Parts: sequence; C-alpha cells; structure tokens
Amino acid sequence: MSSNLVIPIVFNGLSLSAIYILVALGFTLVFGIMRVINFAHGEFAMMGGFALFICYVQLGLPYWLALPLVVPTVGLIGLVAERIVFRPLYGQELPAMIAGLGLSVALADGAVVVFDVHQRNIPSPFDDILTVSGFTFPEDRVIVMGIAVAALIAFWLFIQFTSIGLALRTVAQDREMAEAQGIDTSATYRITFFLATAMAGLAGALFAQIYALSPYMGLVPLVKAFTIVIIGGLGSIAGAALGGILLGMSESFLNTFYGASVAQFASFGAIMLLLILRPWGLLGRPEV
Amino acid sequence: MNAKNWWAGAAIAGLTMLAFVLMMGAPAVQAEELKIGAVGTLSGGGTEWGKALQRGLTVAIDEINEAGGVKVGNKTYTLKMIMYDDQYTAQGGTTAAIRLINVDGVKFIIGPVGSPPALGVVAVANPAKVIVLSDGYSGKILTPESKYNFRIQIPTEYFAPGMAKWLAKTYPKAKKVGFISPNDAVGQTLVPVQIEAYKAAGIETVSDEKFDRGMADFTPLITRMVARGADIFELDGDAPGDAGLMVKQARQMGYKGIIIQTGGPGTDEIMRVAGKLADDFLTYDLFDPADPSGAEFVKRYRAQFTGPINGLSPIYYNGMKILAEALRRAGSLDTDKVKGELEKLDGFQTLFGPVRWDGKERYGVRHQLVHDFFVTQVKDGKAKPIARVSHE
Repeated sequence: MSSNLVIPIVFNGLSLSAIYILVALGFTLVFGIMRVINFAHGEFAMMGGFALFICYVQLGLPYWLALPLVVPTVGLIGLVAERIVFRPLYGQELPAMIAGLGLSVALADGAVVVFDVHQRNIPSPFDDILTVSGFTFPEDRVIVMGIAVAALIAFWLFIQFTSIGLALRTVAQDREMAEAQGIDTSATYRITFFLATAMAGLAGALFAQIYALSPYMGLVPLVKAFTIVIIGGLGSIAGAALGGILLGMSESFLNTFYGASVAQFASFGAIMLLLILRPWGLLGRPEV
Repeated sequence: MNAKNWWAGAAIAGLTMLAFVLMMGAPAVQAEELKIGAVGTLSGGGTEWGKALQRGLTVAIDEINEAGGVKVGNKTYTLKMIMYDDQYTAQGGTTAAIRLINVDGVKFIIGPVGSPPALGVVAVANPAKVIVLSDGYSGKILTPESKYNFRIQIPTEYFAPGMAKWLAKTYPKAKKVGFISPNDAVGQTLVPVQIEAYKAAGIETVSDEKFDRGMADFTPLITRMVARGADIFELDGDAPGDAGLMVKQARQMGYKGIIIQTGGPGTDEIMRVAGKLADDFLTYDLFDPADPSGAEFVKRYRAQFTGPINGLSPIYYNGMKILAEALRRAGSLDTDKVKGELEKLDGFQTLFGPVRWDGKERYGVRHQLVHDFFVTQVKDGKAKPIARVSHE
C-alpha cells in the first residue's frame, strides 16, 4: 500500500472520526445518565446545521461568532424538548424511546415547513486546498477536525475536573446512591440534555459545513451514533471515543479498498459479531 | 302584530330569501371545476421530488386558470389539483390512486415520480381508464397493456447515446469513465445503459461504484475511481444533493477531470451544494431558460417559490400543459377521447419543444415523450446551455 493512498485515507478517517465521536458522545451521555435512547439526536444535529446557516449565511455574522452561538442555541432547544417530551417519561425507557421517535419526525418535518426540503451548502470560510509534502488536504476539513478535537477535549475536562462533571458521573454510576448523597438528579438530567444536544448541534453544524444541509440529514448522524455506542458500549464515554475512531477509520479504509457495499457489510457484520460475543460493547459494562 | 312590525318582518324575510336565492345561484355563474389528481412523495427522503412535482403542477395550473381555464366542448373548467403522498412506495401509489379515482372522482392523474409508486398507480388507473402522465424508468411502466399511461420524462436509453457521442466529440482525449451511483433500482438500471452508450462512443468504463443512499462522505469512492484513471466522472442516477456533494468532494481532492451528470436535471441544486467548486460541471438540461417559453416558466416559478428549481418541476409543468391541450382538442372529458388526442399531439409546441411520441419499438406503445435536450456548463456560478443534442 503506497503512502500516496494511506495518508489521504488516514486523514479522511480522522476527520470522520472526530465528527462521529462528537455526535455519539451526546447520544451515549443521555443514555448513560438518563437511560433514554434519544432517537431525535440526529435532528438536534440537523438544527445545529440550520442554526449555523441562519447565523453565518443569513445574518452574515462572522464564522467564529456564528459557530459558538450554535452550541447554546441548540442546547436551549434541547432543554425545551427535555421539559415537554422527556421529563414526563423519566424512568419509562420504552415510552421515552417512542416519544423520541415522534420528536424526530416532528422536528424533521417541521424543518421542511420552515426551511423547505432542498439541500443547501454552507459556503466555507476556509476553502483553500492545503498542500503538505505533495499531499492535498481541504482546509475546511482540517479546521473542522481541529474544532471537533478541541470540543472533545473541553468536554473531557468538564466531565473530569468540575463538580458538575463529578455529579454527572455519579448519577451515571448509581442514580439512587447519588440522590441519597444530595445530588439533584433532575438538575443533572437537564444539564445532561443541554450538553448532549449542544454537542449534537456542534457536530451537525460541522457536518453541514463540510457535507450539506437538509431537513432529513439527521438520519446519518443518528445511525453513526448508534453504531458507535454499540461498538464502544452504550453509556460509556471512552467507548464512544474508541467506537468513533474505529468506525471512521474502518469506513475510510474499507470504502477505498473494497467499495461501499463491502464496507457496509463488514461494519454491520462486525457489529453483529460484537453483539453476540460482547453485547455490552468494547468498553461498556454488562447489565447486572 | 301592528302594521309597522308586519312590514319590518316581511322585509327581513324577503331579504333573507333573496340572499338565500343568490347563494343558491352563485355556483351557476362560476366556471366548473376539473379535478386533476397528483401523486408524489410528500414525506421521508423523497419529499423533494414530490414537492418539485407539486410546484411544477401549481405553476402550470395557475397559468392555465389565469388565462380563463380549459375550454372543453361547451364548458370552461378551472383546474384544481388534489394531491396525495405515495411515500415513494408501490403500495403508497396504489392507495393514492384508489383514493383519487374512487373518492375524488378524478379522471386524470399526473405523477408519480419514480418507478415503485408509478407501477402502483398504473396498476389501478389502467383498468379504471384513468389517464396517467408519469415518470419512472422501469420497463414495466410502459407496456402495450398500459394503454392510458404516458411517460413524460425522457429515459436514459434515449438521451445517453447522444450525450456520450457529444462528449467523445468535444473531449476526444477523454477515454475512461467512472460511475458512482446509488445501490438501488435507479443505479442498477441506469448505469448499464450508460456503460453501453459510452462504449458505443469509444469510451471505456473503468470504475462502477455503488453506495447506499444516505451516504455523505464519497471521498473513498472518488479515491478508488481516480486511482483507476477515470478522466470522466459520470453522476447519472444520483440525486442532485448527492451529485453536488460528489462534485464538491472530487474538486476538493484535486480531481481535474470532466464531471458530468447525463440525466436527472438538477443543476440549480448541484450548484447550491457544491458552491464555486461546481465550475466547469457539465450537465443535461431539458430546456433553455433564455428561450421565451423557458424564461416565462422560470419567471412564474420564481414569483411563487424560492430556492433552486428542481429538474422535475418543468417536467410536470410541461405534462400539465400537454394534458390541457389534449382536453381542449378532445372537447370532452371522456378519457378514451382525451387519450386519442394525446396520441395525436405531435408537433404541439411545449417548454421542451414540439411534442413527439415514441416507444412503439421499445415498449410496444407510442406513449413515450421525446425531445431534444441541452448540455449545460457551469461557469462563474451560472449554468449556460452550450450545445443542443438530439435523442436517439
């Protein structure tokens, strides 16, 4: 295998992985702490794309102001969804899952009504092609990868070194024990949903910037998030990171060398095998 | 009751009766309404196609109604569209057609887009002698048995040979073509036809990549294709959004070859997605927007809708205009008479040029609309026709 091919494949795999991890972290966080499988997670990513479109393209705000605005905006919309849709269903996994599905359809079709159905392009402020040692790299992908990695590091620091992060980890490990220690689990749920949807919004904005934006774009991030958390272990943050890297790199390599059909077959074959041999994922914990 | 009250009561009763009579009489002075059935995808991933159909039909119906409606024999009808969602499935098409025919009493259906729902609609409409002006490339849509079905979109086997010959003549150094198309009935059906057309024009296929719809990162597939030396990148069969992404990603990777989409007009949308990287992109288009009828369509469309014009909108606009002319000539709503007039409509001037029906040899029924088409190239963010090509 020549380096002519390997370097672009690795670069593509890493840029995919960074966005995949970002979108999967929120998904796994909501499950780990709230025990809710949020089927509308992809639609929050879609809203991130449209929020960037409104701020950057329609309002003409500078990119470095527009992108940070996206994050709390989608997080706040997430809080509204948490209050209306999920809060009445806490502790009821199946009804919450169905409610998430309904929310997903409502948000996608609502976006069709508001924004129309066609795909859009968010013109990239970074449209150069960078050349390093004869290899070409699209500048926007390099920047997007950098933003995603920075966001992931910020998230990790927040979870590891803040009191809120500690509370989140405690609730994820044992909700009843956390309540007995005086942790307000309802507040923890709200913070979790805010963080998860804000990260999905950021991932969606970055996804829309390098790919395209449409009301139905939420399906791809959702499927990727699902795949990643199955690989890494539902509820495991480290598992989401590992799953994201494995999925991004394997997609890039398998698609290039064997084509899309073989890549799909291999990915889902590996997941089936994993579900049989280690259903709790690579870094997840088996249910007691 | 005194005399004053009696007169007041009588006046109120008289006015009430007058108002009632006027209300009863009101429909008699209005033109009669003719329902036009429409079937298209209005939910899920194919919504864009259904919306495009709906918009094209809306523009045509508004234009016809503004001009006074359609005169059929001694009556003048204003047109009213009734549209149902087919969910891009055969069952959805069947259900929509049953509802249109049996509940709404529709005799003319426009749509749907795509083979699965089209087959569902035709299966119901033909026995009911309801005329269908549809799309869909499946070989089963136009058969000698489907007497009331007309296909108003020109299929690949008609335009691919002409486009491949034009490409070979215009770019004689380009000898290898690569395809990236969806791994479904569309890609599986269209690409073999394209491969034959390119082969006949002396261009070898070096790569035929398939992807599952929903994929967004085409970089690995483009890498495979480029590694095999493709100097033409053919996007036929790809939805405009996917095609736009492929153009963008190929150019970002530094691909310098020809990128063309022979079929599935969607230039506006491709330019929206690929942005300035769409420059030099070649595509197939159905009409010249600089032509008076093309300019009129674009003006009317823009007056009602924003955003890019999906390539399907002009197809269904054109279909509605063709049907209206056949209704006028038939002088009757009898579908056998309208069908007869549709079949005799050759030469009638439309958005795509004069009507020509074909298909007797290929499908056993002369119900395939054919016309010339344009090769369009994007330059500085604008698509301009650069050649006119005939179907084969």
